[in-house]
Amino acid sequence: MTLATAAAAALLFGAGSYLLLQRSLVRVVAGIALISQCAIVTIIGSSLSQGRAPLDPAEGGPLSDPLPQALALTALVIGMGTLALLLALVHRVVVAHGTAERDELRDVDRPGRDEVVRQEGDETE
Amino acid sequence: MTALSLSLLVPWAAGLLLVVLDGRRRTVGWLGAVTLAATIAVLGLLAADVLRDGAVEMVTGGWPAGVGIVLRADALGVTFALLSCIVLLAAACAETLLGVGQRTVPGLLVLLAAGLNGLFLTGDVFNFYVFFEMSMIAAYVLTGYGGGRAQLRAAVIFASVNLLGSFIFLLAVAGTYRVTGTLAMDDVAERIREVPPNAAIAVAVGFFVAFSVKLGLFPFHYWLPTVYADTRPSVAAVLSGAVANIGAYGLLRFGPGVFAEQIRLSATVLVVLGAASIVYGGVLAVARRRPAEMLAYSAIGQVGYVLVAVGVGGPVGFAAAVLYSVVNALNKALLFLTTAVRGPLVAGAFVVGALSVAGVPPAVGFVGKLAVFRSAVDAGSPTLVVLLVVGSALSLLYLFLVYQREFWAEEDRDAVTDAETRDTAPARGVSRRVPVVVLAVLLLAGGLWPEPLVAVSAAAADVLTASTNGAGP
Amino acid sequence: MTDPETPPGPTVIVRVVARLLLAPSVVVAVALIVKGYTKVGDGFAAGMVVGLAVALNAVAVGAHRAEAALPVLRHAPHAAVGGAFVALASGFFPVALGEPVFSHRPGPDEEVVSVGTAELMTAVSFDVGIFLLVVGVVTVLVHQLAEPDQEPPT
Repeated sequence: MTLATAAAAALLFGAGSYLLLQRSLVRVVAGIALISQCAIVTIIGSSLSQGRAPLDPAEGGPLSDPLPQALALTALVIGMGTLALLLALVHRVVVAHGTAERDELRDVDRPGRDEVVRQEGDETE
Repeated sequence: MTALSLSLLVPWAAGLLLVVLDGRRRTVGWLGAVTLAATIAVLGLLAADVLRDGAVEMVTGGWPAGVGIVLRADALGVTFALLSCIVLLAAACAETLLGVGQRTVPGLLVLLAAGLNGLFLTGDVFNFYVFFEMSMIAAYVLTGYGGGRAQLRAAVIFASVNLLGSFIFLLAVAGTYRVTGTLAMDDVAERIREVPPNAAIAVAVGFFVAFSVKLGLFPFHYWLPTVYADTRPSVAAVLSGAVANIGAYGLLRFGPGVFAEQIRLSATVLVVLGAASIVYGGVLAVARRRPAEMLAYSAIGQVGYVLVAVGVGGPVGFAAAVLYSVVNALNKALLFLTTAVRGPLVAGAFVVGALSVAGVPPAVGFVGKLAVFRSAVDAGSPTLVVLLVVGSALSLLYLFLVYQREFWAEEDRDAVTDAETRDTAPARGVSRRVPVVVLAVLLLAGGLWPEPLVAVSAAAADVLTASTNGAGP
Repeated sequence: MTDPETPPGPTVIVRVVARLLLAPSVVVAVALIVKGYTKVGDGFAAGMVVGLAVALNAVAVGAHRAEAALPVLRHAPHAAVGGAFVALASGFFPVALGEPVFSHRPGPDEEVVSVGTAELMTAVSFDVGIFLLVVGVVTVLVHQLAEPDQEPPT
């Protein structure tokens, strides 16, 4: 059980890092999503215990630890929020830059920075 | 206890309300500023309580600690919360005076204050993470403020790198729970002693990496220059003056406060990384032309001092780290805000900020530098002292390069206006300079009458040393 | 599966199922909130159930047509903010009474007013707030990402 979740977490992290190094921003976002899932799997794998819900501990029998469940749920919610935010951000980048390739953003942005800066500055005058 | 709850409730509720309203209207901007001022007032009351009677603690729902979530205000947390709210207030005022260009900005600034207060005033590791994400989400959206190409690119870089940092933090939280079976900071600090050293150090490194990314320390700084230089000046001020406090606070709270033994073991590494940060940031800042970019590299150098002080440790080192974080946040907020306005008054404010960064007497930076020097002398390392002096000299050099380029050649100054920040082109008009001047006066006042600041940072350091010694075996 | 005349996109089955699922999803959500204190469920799960139904609807018929068919969806931002306020109020009202935040009324061992199997307490109103928040946020997100205001240049 622990080995399986550990392997799953490692796989998710590896795949996520691979995607993170890609040039397309959409893949970068997917990579971040995978890494967030890796963190959640780690929480579950590191501390989840099986048993009854601990609402009434007097009944006896093994209880499950509610804390990792709460942690995983909260982390999922936060992960969903940040993922949606990132996607919206990438969408706006595509609108503004006309591309979702990381390297092209740089080219679009800084073609011989100083000259452009001076020219445009003159225009504002 | 009421003040503690209110310090969360006021910015949270008001922030939600302000996000709905149209922030481009001037009244809404001022409402945001008033909310932040009210938050500062509540925090001031809380700080008075804390400094008089010691830490204020509250467990949610009235549960026993360990079941409910612990909210705790001690000298360290309150100091950072107050500091961040002051920086946010200055940024909100500056932005309102210049004219807000996006409807959600005042609300986001206030929500950021709520998130930061939450994380500075919690005694629970996971609750820290939740508020941390809350403030980071507000910060991600703020980074994209302006909506220009450069801002959007900065927002994507900032968000993706810092999310990675957040998930490393989450992994470290999972590890902490695994090895100690608790998430209340006090209990973690106690139980981490019985944990096998390898596991403990692995978890501690996770936290260290997460906070270093946030702070932009030397090996983790790669995202910082683009982001700070390409966002709007007031957002850069918020990022470097308020959001970066998360990193400094986290290093202090989780370092000496929780993983005291691990910090002691890795003191050399911390000092070396800090010194590398100082030199790297200083040298690269000298080589930059755009003021915003130079300030960004300067930010990397300045946080190095905090890390050096943490590495040296002991009451002197921790007090120096707190003091320097406070000073640095105010310096950076002032300097970034000056890039948005022009005029002789602003030039004067810039000089105050520059002197403060370099650690020249009338400004408060001197007090901060002095504290770090004292800790370096305490550590008995001449090399370190020399490095710190070199760092200060470099900062004086690059800041006066900026000054010369920006303020001496006032007439042809507009020719150097940056392409991306054209929409934020230096604004004229006396009222717009008020936030900058007030911050400068604050820095000068702190330098002329440093006793309160020194006392507060000593109290904050006491919190850390007490938690390391008090719970000792 | 599709014959050549039907437009590309989801089949008629998906569209019909998506529309039919909306009402049951709300029923399931209410059950999740009400049962959340002794069985599995809470405001977030309930919100996600409704949110998924809304998302399926948006995928099946498109965000604009979904909004036209169900004008309630236009109020999603208000629902989100209102929900956040309800949740905040249920969490922070004890401040006025001088108690720690998130103390719930009626407290442990106190008499609870119940309507059927639903027990009225502030914890439930907190979950209702979270439910509204989640539904609102998911709806706004899905509709924004499905049919954004500005179309990217092609």
